[in-house]
Amino acid sequence: MKNTLRQIFHSPKFMTGFVIFVVILLTLFFYPLFNPGNPLEMIGVGTFAKPGTYVSLYDALNTSRETLRLSDADDNRLAKQLKAEDRVAMLEWFNAMGIAVDFDISDTDALLKLWDDNYDPATKPKGMTMAKRNYYKRLNNALLQLKAADEIVLADVNAETKALEETGKVNKTDYVNVGQVANVKLLPLGTDNFGRDVLKELVSATGTSIIIGLIAGAVATIIGLTFGLLAGYLGGIADDLIMFITNVFTVIPGFVLLILISYSIGQDQRGASVVALVIGLTSWTWTARSVRSQVISLRNRDHVNLSKLSGHSLFRIIMTDILPYIASYVVMAFILQVSSGILSEAQLSLLGLGPKTTEVPTLGLMMNWAMLYSAHTNGSWWAYFPVILTITLISFSLNLMNTGLDQVFNPTLRD
Amino acid sequence: MKKLLALILALAMVLSLAAASAQTVELPRNETLYFAGQQWGTVNSWNIIGTNQNNAMAIAGGPSGYRTLMFETLYMYNFMDGSMTGLLADGDYVWNDAMTEVTVKIKDAAKWSDGTPVTAEDVKRTFDIGVEIGNGTGTGYKAYIAEIVADGKNLTIKAAVNEAGVPVNPLKVVDFLSGAPIAQAAWIDAVVARNNGDATAILNDAGEDVVWSGPYTKYYADDQKVVLVRDDNYWGQDASMWGKLPVPKYIAHAMYADNAAGEVALKAGEVDVCQQFIGNVQNLWLEDGLPISTYYEEAPYGVCLTMPTAWYNMNMPVLAENAALRKAIAMAVDYDTIIANAMTNQSPSFADVPRSLMNPTGGEQALYNQAEVAELQWAGSDIEGAKKLLDEAGIVDGDGDGWREYKGEKIALNAVCPNGWSDWQASMEVVAAAGEKIGVEITTLYPEYSIYQTVFTNPNQVEYAIFMWSPEAASPSNPWTRVNQFLGTEYVGVENNWSGNWGQYVNEEADALIKKIPVTTDAEELKALYTELTKIYLTEVPSFSLMYRPSVFHAVNESVWTNYPAGDDGRNIPPADCTDGYGIAALYELELVNP
Repeated sequence: MKNTLRQIFHSPKFMTGFVIFVVILLTLFFYPLFNPGNPLEMIGVGTFAKPGTYVSLYDALNTSRETLRLSDADDNRLAKQLKAEDRVAMLEWFNAMGIAVDFDISDTDALLKLWDDNYDPATKPKGMTMAKRNYYKRLNNALLQLKAADEIVLADVNAETKALEETGKVNKTDYVNVGQVANVKLLPLGTDNFGRDVLKELVSATGTSIIIGLIAGAVATIIGLTFGLLAGYLGGIADDLIMFITNVFTVIPGFVLLILISYSIGQDQRGASVVALVIGLTSWTWTARSVRSQVISLRNRDHVNLSKLSGHSLFRIIMTDILPYIASYVVMAFILQVSSGILSEAQLSLLGLGPKTTEVPTLGLMMNWAMLYSAHTNGSWWAYFPVILTITLISFSLNLMNTGLDQVFNPTLRD
Repeated sequence: MKKLLALILALAMVLSLAAASAQTVELPRNETLYFAGQQWGTVNSWNIIGTNQNNAMAIAGGPSGYRTLMFETLYMYNFMDGSMTGLLADGDYVWNDAMTEVTVKIKDAAKWSDGTPVTAEDVKRTFDIGVEIGNGTGTGYKAYIAEIVADGKNLTIKAAVNEAGVPVNPLKVVDFLSGAPIAQAAWIDAVVARNNGDATAILNDAGEDVVWSGPYTKYYADDQKVVLVRDDNYWGQDASMWGKLPVPKYIAHAMYADNAAGEVALKAGEVDVCQQFIGNVQNLWLEDGLPISTYYEEAPYGVCLTMPTAWYNMNMPVLAENAALRKAIAMAVDYDTIIANAMTNQSPSFADVPRSLMNPTGGEQALYNQAEVAELQWAGSDIEGAKKLLDEAGIVDGDGDGWREYKGEKIALNAVCPNGWSDWQASMEVVAAAGEKIGVEITTLYPEYSIYQTVFTNPNQVEYAIFMWSPEAASPSNPWTRVNQFLGTEYVGVENNWSGNWGQYVNEEADALIKKIPVTTDAEELKALYTELTKIYLTEVPSFSLMYRPSVFHAVNESVWTNYPAGDDGRNIPPADCTDGYGIAALYELELVNP
């Protein structure tokens, strides 16, 4: 046993998979300690906030300021408001209006002055589309901000007179230390369509999905193993009967069966564990078939026959003389079942047949909502790509472990 | 020999397939206006007096006015200002003093596609056959119109009156003027004759030989697309109407598999006018830099005319007996999140436009006294207020499991909308989240639409506790029609109910007030009635609106066409996809980007 374990942990494939899986598990355990709270809480009002650090503007105004005179600050500001393509677009506008531009458009001051003198949002150059005219309006507003004074005045409503009173100013050179702002929220993966913290949800969903995978894998393996052992060892009518059932289930595509069962259960009954159970109940067939074939090759071995002659019970023979010989195989099958259970949940949820949505996040549900909100077409990669990556990593690690184990237990595969 | 035969057969099949696929029409891009979001699936018929045509481009009575591309109405409704512009009708309609008769004159220039003039007899025949065979026009208006008298080009519509001689609902008579497409009397006679007068057969007639009066007619239709072509003999080029023909020669609509496909086509410039909800539509121009615009440049981008509403099922005792529970849930819901998430801010908030029975247009908002009901309105997310309300009503958590009980039983409700309707699904999630915060268990449920529609229209259903549907948007008879949908008892107990009051709420007091409105002309009195009804609605909470929403979405791509209507262009053309009601005026003003 010790030797086997050592062999296993010396297999580079197994170790790679194992390390990835353990890292995922550790993240599941530790991340919620750093970022506690309900993963389904809708913190963002609005959809798909971009990944990044969010600083409370309100608190920042009340944080003590430092004055930094950065030489490139104005340039950065300008570059943010007036991009190279905006300059070209301004030139197009001048051309459409028949205004001569006798300087290089990289000359910001001249460009802005000419724009200032001529632009009027009400004008409608011939042949210019509404979309283009709206673009110029927005550009003009951005340029107005550039021209604004060096300070922004803060004002408050006087409780008595209801008039605005100046309470402070913000200068262009004012900076605050992010560390001193009372509220800074790091959203490494932004928010999803409900305004939920994607990373927090992802961690929670990964946990749920692994549990679904484990339940589905356990159910499938137990059923498959029991049927396989009985059919293989008993043979005869029992074998025929069990293989008949197995064949029936093999012929019907498992996923179609899964869809039909999930659909007929109805959404209000579909908790995460029910979905796991359904997945397990529809994916046991190949375990049963392969266990059976292994058992058939074992059942006429001498030690089994000796056991029979000694009058041992069926249960004892199976548990002590047959099961240990196929245990390694069963473990590998179990790992694969877990992996395919997680994938099946994702597929089901993507079709809207997954667990009901209000209780727990799962990887499939996250993808389902991202798809319903067209995250894939509107460029909100953070809502679905990390989910896909996580699913891939889990199945990859499980499959690597399986291959590693295979090489250890199956001498013909050894290098 | 056999092999050769098989080979020839296979070849023949391949060739015929190729021939079939080559048959699809090619339309010149700069003569065609492409649509999305209207037509789903193959067109069934062109029979304007039939039913089940599934012909969205030619036969569609939209919530923002009738689509007059092929068949025309007497007047065109403009939801921007509630005005009615004569189409087949000449000048304004005139009521008599008792509001029992309205007279309309048909334009002299108005002609059918076969060259014969449109007469008052056509309107009369359209209404009469509708009542006789029970099509949309017949069932929709027979309760309100007693008869139509035709005299050459002059038309008198006699309103149905009750025992006291008071008209049942003059508002609905006006609806007829802008909502009922007129068919040719001679063609109706032909259809009746060939179907031997059998109502069902007439309703299902394919109407391939239909006579139309509008500027477009059928050109091509299959399961991939439907195309209308301009009728260059259209009467409307007469100076008494438009004075010209509409600009695009072809109106085309490809069948897209779903909203996402339509959106991709809009982005690619394959669609010019898109009637679909597009989340974060501003990103199309702000981030993607596409030449796409909406009616308004800023949020809410369109004109919201309706409010998708969550209805409480009064067949469930726990909901029917507890106005406090109904109000508490409604108060706890975070509407800002719904509007920001589900509508991506394409709706004013309930802080901007406080909840009432009215849509957010200025015209309807002016119809009730806002100061008088301000106390009753709520803007949402009021968890403490909701909890207090429930505590006072005695709906408390007696067994300490975190959930409140009523009569010793844990309150367990579901919040339901069709699967795949993502904005509504998101709203239901927010409602469920509100329930959790106030200790009322609400779980979401998303059945397929085919199932959903049979359950929520069933007056005796007890499967859905809180479920979504939208009331009417805009028409000459609104907001009365919408108020009647919210509070009227007219539709209670009606089987296969698509008309209103889906929650089966009964309030005699409200019903009496609703019946008074159509015959009230005094503005002050009308305002008092609507204010009183708003009070009842906000106290009793038989349903609660979750957001405001345009009745049709209107996003345009200016890759090929430009000069679409916009909020600030002063033309007063509504954002109705260039097709509905007065929105069709846009078709006459389109210009090519690159002529």
